[in-house]
Amino acid sequence: MTISSYMKDEHRECDTLFAGAEEAIALNKWEVGEKRFLAFANETLTHFKKEEEELFPTFEAQTGNTQGPTQVMRFEHEQVKGLIGKMAEVLEKKDRDAYLSLAESMMILLQQHNMKEEQMLYSMCDNILPPEIKEETLAKMKEVTI
Amino acid sequence: MFQQNGLSLDQAPPISVVFHLFLIASFFGILAGFMILFYQETIFDSASVGAITLTHTLTLGVMVSFMLGALFQMLPVIAGVVLSSPIKRSWWIQVPFALGMIILLLVFNFTAYSQLYSVASLLLGSSLLGAIGIMLHKLIKLPHHSASSHGMMVALLAFAITILLALYLTATLSGLAQGSYYTQVKTLHYHFGLMGWVALLIISISFQVVEMFYVTPPYPKILSRYLTGTMVFLLLLKIPLAFLLPSAIITINTLLALLLVSFAVITLYRFSQRKRPLADASMWFWRLGMGSLILAMLLWIISAFISHPLMASVTYIAFASFALSVVFAMFYKIVPFLTWFHLNAQGYYTAPMMHEVIHPKTAKKHFWIHRAMVIILLLSLFIGKLIFIAGVLTILSFGWISYQIIHAHLLYRKTEKSGEKFDMGK
Repeated sequence: MTISSYMKDEHRECDTLFAGAEEAIALNKWEVGEKRFLAFANETLTHFKKEEEELFPTFEAQTGNTQGPTQVMRFEHEQVKGLIGKMAEVLEKKDRDAYLSLAESMMILLQQHNMKEEQMLYSMCDNILPPEIKEETLAKMKEVTI
Repeated sequence: MFQQNGLSLDQAPPISVVFHLFLIASFFGILAGFMILFYQETIFDSASVGAITLTHTLTLGVMVSFMLGALFQMLPVIAGVVLSSPIKRSWWIQVPFALGMIILLLVFNFTAYSQLYSVASLLLGSSLLGAIGIMLHKLIKLPHHSASSHGMMVALLAFAITILLALYLTATLSGLAQGSYYTQVKTLHYHFGLMGWVALLIISISFQVVEMFYVTPPYPKILSRYLTGTMVFLLLLKIPLAFLLPSAIITINTLLALLLVSFAVITLYRFSQRKRPLADASMWFWRLGMGSLILAMLLWIISAFISHPLMASVTYIAFASFALSVVFAMFYKIVPFLTWFHLNAQGYYTAPMMHEVIHPKTAKKHFWIHRAMVIILLLSLFIGKLIFIAGVLTILSFGWISYQIIHAHLLYRKTEKSGEKFDMGK
């Protein structure tokens, strides 16, 4: 298994959970929507933790660069986390319009972030990390929980 | 600003660059509406002054401005290209471009001043070839290429060829060249412009944004990897064939049309597979755009066997509907997202949400206006008087867009002035 395929699968999983929550809330099914949103938030934050605590430090150690692409990704993670917080707030208030509006921003932000990771960062990781370190990082990432 | 391997922290150029270019595009769109009122049914005769003036207003004025705006924004985000001093550069492009456009449109109508073709050529040629040069230079240097960045390079190359061919045409019209190959070059000029620049750029951007905005499965690899390259190869093949073996052109045209039909069909199929089931206005603009492309290309294939002026007019209208619909589809995602994104990235937690910038209902109303405009324009081929309504709807459509840009810009500035923000430590 490559880092790219493992992480890409997680991105797709987050997309599915997110779209499910959005669909339920658009139909005013608040209970289902909330459950799906929480699953999305949980999956996304776990994914970020895997990157920030395992993948990025390994990449940085290998390249000797802590101010490069990983720094940009961390910054974008903060933006996404901020949006998750806002979405949780409006979800509590059952403000459908505000939720759908934030969902729109979230989706574009997340997708462009994912694309950069998938097209550049993950391929770079697969290319530059020695096989044993790659295996080890993958194993460690699979154990991360929040 | 740091940049490494295509990932950059300050990815997006100042929002004013994009807003200015989009606003110029909409003003040219409003002008196109007035032209329809002025030239009336003569626009359906492709050789008429009205048709040539209107076509260039739409393709150069509207499409080029929109697409340059989109490229300025998207190159950094989706292709990892960083444009240095984008404001200064965009003014160097915008001013001579707008001036050149106005002169070109005037000289089309006042042929006694044909020497002005040289002035228009100088202004348009230098600004556009300059812009293409900057973008191509940055794109070529990218260490990693995606289907999208690759397609953008090919589209920009086709655009450069379109302009070079146009320079031959204007040199002929101003008396600087003999113009022995005028007819062939003219056909190549609009084929490279429409099938090369317009269609190829839309395809390359689609490879990124369809998946990104609507969460669809990616395009099939065979399409994203080979479509743009094959199309530009076929277009390039047309250059020698136009002079040496004109009868073979029909085969090339049919192949090009089939490739575009397959792109449109796959795009529509991808939309049916999207994970986000909500159908907003932008989705409807996409569907109209792809439907129009299929219609335009099928008619183009048929016209090789059965030639009728009516069919040619419907083909042009359908192609224009394709290009404009897709541009509007992207507009309704890009403008609200950028407004929110730029403010949010600066730490404004009072940044307006996307729906506050442009409400989905406002976008939906525009879709109805645009769709009515396309239908009425088609109907005016049969009932001449309807052309006036088509003209008014065109003005309304682009007026609507102008209002959305101004509204977004004012909202942006208001938030910058009085919005509350986190301390970003900058």
